[in-house]
Amino acid sequence: MKRTASGDAALWACAGAAATCLVAIVALLVWLGAAGLSALWPAPIVEIGFADGHAVLGEMAERRGDTLVIRGSERERAGGSYVRVDAHAIVSRSEPRDAFAITLHDGRRLFGRGDVAAAAALLRSIPNAEPAGVAEWPNAHGFFHRTAMFLRDAGRFLAGSTMAPSLTGGAFPALVGTVTLVFLMSLIVMPFGIATAVYLHERRGFAAGLVRSAIANLAGVPSIVYGVLGLGLFVHGIGADVDRWFFADRLPVPTFGSGGLLWAALTLALLTLPVVVVSVEEGLGRIPPGLLAGSLALGATRGETMWRLLLPAARPALLTGLILAIARAAGAVAPLMLVGVVRLAPALPVDGAFPFLHPSRQFMHLGFSVYDAALASPDALRGIPRAYACALLLVIVVVALNLAAIVLRNRLRERYRVLEG
Amino acid sequence: MPGNPVTYTPLLTGVRNASVVERRRRERVGNALVLAGAAVVLLALLVIPLFLGASILAWLPLPDGAWSRLGILFAGSAKAAVCALVLAVPLGLAAAIFSAQFATPGFRSAFKPVLEILEAIPTVVLGLVAFATLAPWLKANVVTLLALIVAIPALLLAGALAFGGAFRRQAGWLPLWLAPVVFAIVVAVVAGLGPHQTDAIVPPTPWNAVLVGLALGLAAIPMIFSVAEDALMQMPSTHVQAALALGATRWQAIHSIVLPAARPGLIAAFALGASRCLGETMIVLMASGNTPVGDPNPLAGLRSISAELALGLPEAAPPGGAYRMLMLAALVLFVLTFVLNLLAERARAHLRRAQATPVIA
Repeated sequence: MKRTASGDAALWACAGAAATCLVAIVALLVWLGAAGLSALWPAPIVEIGFADGHAVLGEMAERRGDTLVIRGSERERAGGSYVRVDAHAIVSRSEPRDAFAITLHDGRRLFGRGDVAAAAALLRSIPNAEPAGVAEWPNAHGFFHRTAMFLRDAGRFLAGSTMAPSLTGGAFPALVGTVTLVFLMSLIVMPFGIATAVYLHERRGFAAGLVRSAIANLAGVPSIVYGVLGLGLFVHGIGADVDRWFFADRLPVPTFGSGGLLWAALTLALLTLPVVVVSVEEGLGRIPPGLLAGSLALGATRGETMWRLLLPAARPALLTGLILAIARAAGAVAPLMLVGVVRLAPALPVDGAFPFLHPSRQFMHLGFSVYDAALASPDALRGIPRAYACALLLVIVVVALNLAAIVLRNRLRERYRVLEG
Repeated sequence: MPGNPVTYTPLLTGVRNASVVERRRRERVGNALVLAGAAVVLLALLVIPLFLGASILAWLPLPDGAWSRLGILFAGSAKAAVCALVLAVPLGLAAAIFSAQFATPGFRSAFKPVLEILEAIPTVVLGLVAFATLAPWLKANVVTLLALIVAIPALLLAGALAFGGAFRRQAGWLPLWLAPVVFAIVVAVVAGLGPHQTDAIVPPTPWNAVLVGLALGLAAIPMIFSVAEDALMQMPSTHVQAALALGATRWQAIHSIVLPAARPGLIAAFALGASRCLGETMIVLMASGNTPVGDPNPLAGLRSISAELALGLPEAAPPGGAYRMLMLAALVLFVLTFVLNLLAERARAHLRRAQATPVIA
C-alpha cells in the first residue's frame, strides 16, 4: 500500500509539472494575443462625471486597482493630457453616442461631442493641427463596424511608416528591417553551414571531432557575446579599415565603421551557424547508405554524389535548418543592440535607388521596437500597448516559421520511410 | 505511393559531358570549399576568446574598481540564474521524467512541439510580459505567489493520495486532466487572496530577482526538458522491465534504476540550463531594473553582466577604461558559459559511452 501511494505521488508530481508547463504556455500565448489585439481594437470614449459637476471626456488608458487613468484631448502634445481619477470620486460614467475622436498626424487624439460641424470647429480651435483622417464616432457603431475599424487600424499598423517621430505609427519599417536582415543572414549562413555539415558527414577523426565540439560550444555562447564580437571585430575593426581604404573622403563620418545591416547580418550568421549545421548533418545522416554505395558503384565521384544526389535528397533538411535559423535570428535582439539597430532609421535598408540594398545603413527591427516602445517611450501608456502589438506580430512570424519547420521535419521522415521500404 | 524522393533526370547531363580531368578538378575544388567551410567554423570559435583577450591585454592595466564592479555584476547574473533555476529545474526535470517514462507516445508527440514553441518565443517578448504585466501584479501580490508555490504541489499530492488509484489507468494522459486543475488552483488563489492579502511582504522595487526568475525560468524550461528527456529516452527499456518483473513498482524502477543511470544527462541538462540563464540578455535587461547593487535579497533589483554589456557598450569608445571593463565582462561571461557547456558535453559523451557498453553480456 505504501509503495503504491508513493508511486502515485511521484506520478502526480511529474504529471503536475507537465500540466503546469502547459498552463503557463497557453496562458502566455492567450495573453499575448489578447494584449496585442486589444492594442488595436477601437476603445470606447467615456465621459466621467464628478461630484462637483465637472466632467472628463476621453479614452480609458489604464485601470489599476481603484485608480483609473483617462486620456483626454491632447491639445498641446501627445501624452500631455492624462487624468488620474479615483474610482470612488466618480458619480456618473457614460459612453455618449455623439462622442467623436480625431487622430492628428503627429499621433495626438482629440475628443469632443457633437456632429461633423462640432468636429470641424474643434479642429479649427487647435493651432496647426493636421488631421490624419476624418472624425469618428466609435460609440455609435456596433460590433461589425468596430471590427472593420479594427481591421483598418491593423492594416495601418502593418503598412504604415514610423518615419515621423510619432508614437502611433506603423511597424512597416521595422518589419522591412527584420526581413531584410534575416534574408541577408540566410545568404551568408547557408553556404558555410552546408559546407561544414558535409565536412562533418564525410570525415571522421581528430579534426572532425574538433569541429564538432566547436559547433556544440558555439551553440551555447550567449547571443550578447556575439554582439560584442560583432561590435569590436566587425564594426570597430574591419569596418574602420574599410572606411580608411575605400571611403576615406567621407571620414570622419563613418560608412562601414558604425553599426549597420551588413555587420548585423554577419553577427547573426555566426549565431545561427550551429543550428544550420546540426540540422543539415542530421538530414544527411538519415539518407540510406545504399544510395551512396549505388552512386559510387556507377562511377560517380564522392563530390558528384554529394552535389547531385545526397544534397538534393536532403533538401527538406536544408529547408528545416534555414527556417530554424531564421526563427532564431528573428528573435535575437540583444546582439543587434550593439551592431546597428536604431529606434528610428532615416531610410529603409532597401529602396529603389541604386544599389537597392544598402548594407551600411542602420535599420529598425521588430524585436527592438518591442524593447524600445516598452522601456524608452515618452508616453508609457501608449508605449506598452504598442510594444504588445509589435510583440504579437513578432511571435506570429517566429511561431509560424517554427511550425513550418516541424511540419517539414515530419514530411522528411515520411519520405525516407518510403525510400527505405 | 508518394513520388520518388530523389530526382534522377538532370543528374547525369553535367557528368556525361565532362572529361576525367575536368571531373577531378571539380572534385578538388569541392573538397577545398568544404574544408574552408569547416575552417571558418573553427576560426569562429577561436576568434571570440582571442579577440576578447586581445582587446583587454592590449591596453592593460584595467581601470580602478573594475574588479569590484565585475563582482557586483557577476553576483547579479548569478542571482538571476539561481532564481530562474529554482523554477525551471524542478518543472523541467519532472516534465521530462513524465514524458519519457509515463506518457503515451501520443501525448509525447503533442507535448514536445508545444515546448518547442515556448523555446521559439523571442525572449524580448517574455521580457515585455514580465516588465509590463507581471511586475505591477507581483509588487502587490508576493504573498499570492508564495501561496501558489505551496498550494499547487500540496493540492496535487493530496489529489494523488485521494484519487491516485482511480487515475492509474489514464497515467499516460494525466497532465491533460491536471491542467484544468492547476489552472483552477491558480485562479482560486489569485482571486481569493489578491484583494485580501496583508502588505506583509512589499518588495522595494517592482523589478526584482523574483520577477526575473519567473520569466527567465519559463524561458529555460524547454532546454532543460529536451536535454533531460533525451537522456531518459536513451535508457534501455529492458532495465525497467527487469525491475518490474522482480516485483518493483514503476516508480521504484524509475527512481532506483533509470534516474541513477541517466544522471550524467540530468547534470548536462542542469549545466546547459544554467549557461542559458547566465547569458540571457533581454529578459534580465527588461525585468531586473538594472540597479548595480550586490544585495542577495531576491526581492531587490540586480544588474547582470549581459545587461551591462547591452547598456554600456553602445556608449563606450574603444580604447577607454569603460570599454576594457566591458570586454573583460564579456570574456568572463564567455568563459563561464563555455565551461558549463563543456561540462554538459562531457557528461553527455560519458552517457553515450556507457550506453554503448553492453550491460548484459
